[in-house]
Amino acid sequence: MRAVLSTRFLMAFIVAIAAVYALYSSLTWPFRTALFPRVIGFPLLVLSIVEMLLCVTNVEGDRVGHAVDFEMTTDVDPAVALKRTFAICSWILGFLALILGIGFTLAVPLFVFLYLRLAGKEGWALTLSLTILAWLTMEGLFNRLLHLPFPQGWLFSLLA
Amino acid sequence: MLDAFVQGLVIVLQWQTFLIMLLGIFLGFWVGLLPGLGGSTTLALMLPFIYKMTPVEAFAFLLGMHSVVSTTGDITSVLFGVPGEGTTAATILDGHAMAKRGEAGRALGAALMSSLVGAVVGSFALALAIPVVRPLVLTFGAPELFMLAIVGIAFISSLSGEGGRGLLRGFLAGLLGLMIALVGQDPQAGVQRFTFSQLYLWGGLDLVPVLVGLFAIPEIIDLAIRGTSIAGELPKGSLAKGAWDGVKDTFRHFWLTIRCSLVGTFIGIMPGLGGGVAQWIAYGHAVQSAHDAKERTGFGKGDVRGVLGPGAANNSKEGGALIPTVAFGVPGSSAMAILLGAFFLQGIAPGPDMLDKHLTLTFSMVWTMVIANIITVVLSFFFLNQLAKLTVVRGTVLIPFVLFLAFIGSYTSNNHIGDLLVFLVFGVLGYLMIRASWPRAPLVLGFVLGKIAENNFYISTIRYGGSWMLRPVVLILIVLSVVVVLYPLIRLRKGSDVSETVA
Repeated sequence: MRAVLSTRFLMAFIVAIAAVYALYSSLTWPFRTALFPRVIGFPLLVLSIVEMLLCVTNVEGDRVGHAVDFEMTTDVDPAVALKRTFAICSWILGFLALILGIGFTLAVPLFVFLYLRLAGKEGWALTLSLTILAWLTMEGLFNRLLHLPFPQGWLFSLLA
Repeated sequence: MLDAFVQGLVIVLQWQTFLIMLLGIFLGFWVGLLPGLGGSTTLALMLPFIYKMTPVEAFAFLLGMHSVVSTTGDITSVLFGVPGEGTTAATILDGHAMAKRGEAGRALGAALMSSLVGAVVGSFALALAIPVVRPLVLTFGAPELFMLAIVGIAFISSLSGEGGRGLLRGFLAGLLGLMIALVGQDPQAGVQRFTFSQLYLWGGLDLVPVLVGLFAIPEIIDLAIRGTSIAGELPKGSLAKGAWDGVKDTFRHFWLTIRCSLVGTFIGIMPGLGGGVAQWIAYGHAVQSAHDAKERTGFGKGDVRGVLGPGAANNSKEGGALIPTVAFGVPGSSAMAILLGAFFLQGIAPGPDMLDKHLTLTFSMVWTMVIANIITVVLSFFFLNQLAKLTVVRGTVLIPFVLFLAFIGSYTSNNHIGDLLVFLVFGVLGYLMIRASWPRAPLVLGFVLGKIAENNFYISTIRYGGSWMLRPVVLILIVLSVVVVLYPLIRLRKGSDVSETVA
């Protein structure tokens, strides 16, 4: 059961579902359009099923099949790590919500301020100076100098 | 020819041209550092400014700017794990891992020095190859380009994991990347694929939010989990002398740097493959340079060779990409297509005239790329150890700024809110891949090569039927991809035989 619930199994399962969806979608496409997705989709489905079966039947050590890539830290207690993962994911989603709600120009300094004060527990002097730096970068570099077209945010659109 | 070569240097060093080149270098320096502000976009933005310049000044400005973007893009990749440029993502794997180990200075030194070597090799390849490159480019039609894409994916997939399971996951990641590249309108019939009726997805997924999400989100989560600085709890002063070690590493692994530069140049020459591909193939080659499986496990954890390979290739590919642009008017990448526009704005037609009437101008381009990179690397070295100290800044102070750069970088690729969602979706995918020990490199290469592979596969099938597989270069590439796939398995088998014998 633990093998079935593992991240490795979950990853293979998601990819298998994606491959099935791709192959199913390709049934309604003209041959030209469907050719390459099928050429890719079949081996993707077969290999992901093989990976799922291996995850279930073959209990592997932590280092087996290890990727040439970076690894998440293992020095922190798993419960603390999980708590911190949820916290940072909430902050990331919160930042997105701020951007959508009040636009980049206000969201960036507000997020920097809130993160430094609430998550970082930084002092007022550092928090305020870095918030001003973030606002200057946003307003000076991206808005005034580069003239990037930032949307004003849903809240302001509703009020307008 | 030698006269033109020297004359090319002299005209680049004339004070007005030199100052304009410095302005270009200054712009390129910052464009490279900021994630999402791409070299191609900046080239396009700067085109209107070259109207009143002479051709030499115009190319000194544009190439001076473009040729240093990848060099400084490596700095952001190493320090924050966020790709400064789409072409510098591969540097993250080992460069940022070194930064986390407290070796940011060394990683930056290696990245910059290898970039310089790459730029010099690419530039001189341009100078030397122009007369002989025509038959090479003409040999590579659609079937060969398709097989080259397959070899590239097979190569990086087979080298991205340990043992049979690692190989399996490498291929799964590569195929997944190819599948993700198919999002958008089918280039042949215009049929929408995997667009979920969203207009934003019609044009396919943009490389920048995909890369920033895949690489930045897992790094930010890891930094938050550790609750320390990027470099962790290091003794004071341990960062101060790393940059010079990185320079020495470049010369310690000099032939690897040269080989990766040549890989970058070759991929640059091939129309349509571009810098996104060159860095990953070079990374694969660097991994392959490991003597045994145990040594290979060091890649992704901070092996300096994983910095040198992509660092060299993503700069040498610029010289390579200029070869078909200058010699035939066939741009090797999107940046070169924009540069082609600069030729026409200046009233110059690329082609045989560039090797005869405008040979001095051609050589001035070579010198511009060399001089621009020398200036950038020398200037960067003054700041490297200071930049490296950013890795000991508390994570809680860095995280909001890295997130700010990541969100802005993703958004500026299309100026669309959809980019932010793509960034987050690929962030989740990147996190899951890391947790499941799936390598990200094959996915990125599959994604970059997906459309190129499909187009060339389609053209090959329509133009030649099944007989395209019998073309000599295609046959060689098929054999090569089979060898690339089987070699790690054979080596693994041999390794287990040896250990059984010893036991």
